[in-house]
Amino acid sequence: MPASTKRPMAPIRYAPLWTRAFHSFNLLVILLMAASGLQIYNANPVFGGRGGATVPELFTLGGWLAGGRDWHFGVMGLYAANLGVWIGLLIRQRHQRLAAMGDLGTLRASSNTPKRRLAVHRLVYTLMLIVLGFSLITGLAMYKPAQFWWLVAPFSFAEAAGHDSWQVLRVCHLATIPAIALLLGAHVVLSWRVGGLRLWRSMAV
Amino acid sequence: MATPADPLSRRRSLGLLLGGAPALLLGGCALNGVGEAVGTVTQPLNERIEALLQGKGKLPEFRPSQVDPAALLINSFNGTPEIDPGGYRLAVAGLVSRPQRLDLTALAALPQHQCVIRHVCVEGWSAVVAWSGPRLADVLALAGLSPLAGYVFIESADQYYESWDLASALHPQTLLATHMNGAPLPAANGAPVRLATPIKLGYKLSKWVTGLKLMATLGDRRGYWEDQGYEWFAGL
Ligand code: HEM
Repeated sequence: MPASTKRPMAPIRYAPLWTRAFHSFNLLVILLMAASGLQIYNANPVFGGRGGATVPELFTLGGWLAGGRDWHFGVMGLYAANLGVWIGLLIRQRHQRLAAMGDLGTLRASSNTPKRRLAVHRLVYTLMLIVLGFSLITGLAMYKPAQFWWLVAPFSFAEAAGHDSWQVLRVCHLATIPAIALLLGAHVVLSWRVGGLRLWRSMAV
Repeated sequence: MATPADPLSRRRSLGLLLGGAPALLLGGCALNGVGEAVGTVTQPLNERIEALLQGKGKLPEFRPSQVDPAALLINSFNGTPEIDPGGYRLAVAGLVSRPQRLDLTALAALPQHQCVIRHVCVEGWSAVVAWSGPRLADVLALAGLSPLAGYVFIESADQYYESWDLASALHPQTLLATHMNGAPLPAANGAPVRLATPIKLGYKLSKWVTGLKLMATLGDRRGYWEDQGYEWFAGL
């Protein structure tokens, strides 16, 4: 947003439509996967099994196990395709985006704060992709444990300690929800600090 | 950024945010019904990919020391049926040249195989189990499959019913198990005969199997859980 920094009251410069659409779509797909995943969780809680505490219905999607699986495995293709496009775009645009944002940082402050912020934000983006990729890998391993036995094998590292690879996979797959929630929170706070409501609105569809 | 945003827009945006939250929650409940439509659209594609992924060869098995009897939970939609082993017969009928009524001695006379595999329940739990018994493929071969046969309909003593694609039924690790973890199959686990395989979810693995019927096409009754909305192929 270099232009809007110079002229405070300038009209909001919206990100290109396809960028905004992709951004919202990403968010939607992750929410659908997380909510339907939590529905699956409730059929047999990862912690506690049949006697375990369930997730409040508010955070679930599908209504019952088959409905949750309909959503989870219905949207997983979109999720994987999205993640692929996202990673591809980042790899392609990384250099260009960093240069533009670097200029912005130099313009705005004598201190190095914006630069640091940017660095943190880049870290958040990168971690997000790693977490989402990990979610996909652990999910696939549980979706086809017999055909993709080689994907399950690395998760048997704790077997000597009495932790079956299946339970390790379930915990790992579930752990991506708190991880992505933390990263999303950091992303929201950082983008607010960088551009406030105007930046938010520039990305809203 | 030090930019003071337009107050009206800010207020409007915040209002939208606040108004949006309950709408999202309501939407979430309404979406539950849409899940079925999502499944109807995506399941055929998923099932085709699953069938393509599934090889004809044997998959790696677990070590017998990895068997965990306590992990295997019991599920049944209708209790445990009483079956007299002496009077038990397995009917093989439909698109076959030699319909069969096999007793337990006939099943025991077939080559016996053991599979140490992971039994995965759709609910999310799993257990490593050692199953043994004749291959389903060998039992079907006794009856002489018609080239028209594409599906196997499986009947159980408790009225549970299932249907499988023939390729999965003929897989070398698909057994009609009569033993579990080295001992005769307990009644709660499907005695005297149940299905066992590494390539299908638990709800495909009928217990107390009494009838196999070869069919050319899938009928209206595709399986007890499938008819309520669960995926039919259910490959692992
Ligand atoms: C292509 C991507 C994915 C695939 C193939 C996949 C697959 C699966 C499978 C097979 C299960 C059932 C596990 C079980 O039976 O216990 C599951 C459960 C679950 N998934 Fe995913 N998943 C994917 C992505 C995601 C994402 C992105 C999230 C959240 C951000 C997520 C959250 C969950 C949760 C919370 C559960 C319940 C945990 C459990 O009960 O074990 N999944 N997923």
